[in-house]
Amino acid sequence: MDFEFSEEEERFRAELREFLAAELPDWWRGMFVEDERAIPFTRAFCRKLAARGWLTLAWPREHGGQGASVWKQAILREEMWAHDEPRGPQYMNLNYIGPCIMRFGSEAQKRRFLPPMAAGDAIWTQGFSEPGAGSDLAAVATRAEDRGDRFAVSGQKIWSSYADAPADWCFLLARTDPGAARREGLSILLLDMRLPGVAVRPIATMAGPHEFNQIFLDDVQVPRDCLLGRPGQGWEIASAGLAFERVGVARYARAGRVIELLVEHARATGLAADPDVRQKLADLRVRYEAARLLNYRAISLVARGEVPAAEASIARLHNTQLEQLAGHVGLEILGLAGQLTAEDPAAPLRGLLHRQWVRNVPTTIAAGTLEVQKNIVAQRGLGLPRPG
Amino acid sequence: MDLTLGPDQELLAQAVRRWLEKSCPLSLVRRLEADPLGFDPGLWRELAGLGFSGIELPAAYGGSEQSFLEVALVLEEMGRALLPAPFLASAVLATPLLLALGSEAQRRRWLPRLADGRSVASLALVEAGWRDPFGTPALEARAAGPGLTLHGAKLFVPFAPQADLLLVVAAGPSLLAVERGAPGLASRRLASLGGDPVYEVRFQATPAEAVGGAGAAAPALARALARGAVGALAQALGAAERALELSLEHAKTRHQFGRAIGSFQAVAHRLVDMRSDVDALRFLVYRAAGSLGNGRESELAVAAAQAYGGEALRRTFVHAHQVHGAIGFSTEHDLHLFTRRAKAVELAWGAPAAWRERVAAAMGL
Repeated sequence: MDFEFSEEEERFRAELREFLAAELPDWWRGMFVEDERAIPFTRAFCRKLAARGWLTLAWPREHGGQGASVWKQAILREEMWAHDEPRGPQYMNLNYIGPCIMRFGSEAQKRRFLPPMAAGDAIWTQGFSEPGAGSDLAAVATRAEDRGDRFAVSGQKIWSSYADAPADWCFLLARTDPGAARREGLSILLLDMRLPGVAVRPIATMAGPHEFNQIFLDDVQVPRDCLLGRPGQGWEIASAGLAFERVGVARYARAGRVIELLVEHARATGLAADPDVRQKLADLRVRYEAARLLNYRAISLVARGEVPAAEASIARLHNTQLEQLAGHVGLEILGLAGQLTAEDPAAPLRGLLHRQWVRNVPTTIAAGTLEVQKNIVAQRGLGLPRPG
Repeated sequence: MDLTLGPDQELLAQAVRRWLEKSCPLSLVRRLEADPLGFDPGLWRELAGLGFSGIELPAAYGGSEQSFLEVALVLEEMGRALLPAPFLASAVLATPLLLALGSEAQRRRWLPRLADGRSVASLALVEAGWRDPFGTPALEARAAGPGLTLHGAKLFVPFAPQADLLLVVAAGPSLLAVERGAPGLASRRLASLGGDPVYEVRFQATPAEAVGGAGAAAPALARALARGAVGALAQALGAAERALELSLEHAKTRHQFGRAIGSFQAVAHRLVDMRSDVDALRFLVYRAAGSLGNGRESELAVAAAQAYGGEALRRTFVHAHQVHGAIGFSTEHDLHLFTRRAKAVELAWGAPAAWRERVAAAMGL
């Protein structure tokens, strides 16, 4: 057991911070902002990361990666998430869409899809949820009819992040066999978003525009070589993708950065002398320490070649609630001024805490609600019987 | 970075668990709770024979030179079994304090005896009115001829009547040694909710010997208390893990409405919250213990573990009782043994708010 990063890993973190300090423009506040500069910036930033070999750091060399350790990858994720994820939509490619293609894709698919991701040139969105399939993801009704050399796809997807970026591709979960049992009839299609019959409608949310979208699919003709894995393997692939994703986002690092800024703010304003403020910030820090260690536990298992299941969900339970709490506590510490939105020039800390709060309203819902995560831990981790 | 146990650490924890399963059944725990001394000399000799009483001491004094992370792993197993023995009091708290502050003569006299289990030591620290073990000691040490005498009382002294050597913290703070059977020394077992043997100890002109310089004990004492707090929390962690196991067993076997109650999400989610809290506590404890063992002592790591621990233990045992239903309140069931011991740890080492204040200070607030 070792609770320290190696010198080499610490050097890598320092290099990353230097790079971020040089590359992040003053206006950068992350995605989900009304700023047309955001998407082009993330594209340019990803290309720069790619040029340094940092975009696909932990991918195997054969797929354009560096084959770096999972710990270096963890450090990269921490620094990215702490700085409002300047990779924008592309973090999804690196965390789970790419790895799913590596694991389940044909050689031709690997050659076709992985190099553009590794170069920072491809934006993907995800087509999982539907109006009638949220927590009950196996209820997916989007139909992909097998027509031999292609699939004819019709249906609706919802809550697809970055579809309006615009995304080039969609990682789509669709039903290829309506006769099979619910989970067995699903497949993953790699859908070209420029195909006729694809329409995207952004959904206005509390966090502003450009967050979530609805995707309408009307008899879209998807070539057969865009089927990932076997027909009927969709549930397995989606589950693997969600498992990669659960430890793929270093949310605790974002909370850690917010805590640092709040400590600076408290010291600058004299609030640091208020016992209640001290208690609240200390409590946040304690929860941050707990979340970080639980993430490191899951990553330690990956480093040993194991697949964390319940451990990843437990880490996520802590991560998501920590990110929410950081917003709530931060706004509380600002008091009346906490009411100002990030758009108001008088908002303290340039609106950091308003964004932290509002962006994290759906954090305990996306990629599996808290309750779904708890069900996963109950059944896979604790061996409890399934409900019903 | 690697949060998995090394092969030696796993072997150590397994060996301790196997020994405890054989030598320390809950029937013994129950019997010793009712025993006036709460101490089983045979069990202590066995424990010493395995090398645990001198676990951290240098080999020169007969110790086995383990680091504090290993000590925490041993304590976690002991907490899981509710071992009624002065391991924490003697081997973890008092012995290293004597090593830190004692003269070479004192070390040579006591440490080999403590290492091989012939002697037991305990720390007399707490005084009336303290809310946690970090109060300001007022116990008086007066010059009496060539030596010193102690006047006053201490509370919550573990295993006091068994202690061949009492290390007493007096005003200053100064550390003094009192030997078993010294004149003017009396003890009374306190009726404590944990059921582990803790005593009030009175000193009436009791002869004592200085350990280290007068008023010079503060740094070593602070280190000893950090270790004591983390060690006690490691024991409570073991107890919490066992309470979770008992709760899971109950949720899988108890049927109501025609099905195992663990299939109800309201029950299952409590168990998940327990798993999640106990896991978080485990790694916070390991990290704090690691920092205390590798010379890179981290006030923040220790305080974070304690602040999380107090709250997490409370939540975990509330859930454990809720999952067990009425049977968990009955003393026929074993759950109460763990509940009471964990509650005692929660109360013995300071409230979460006090530890959060330390976290705040360590954060630069």
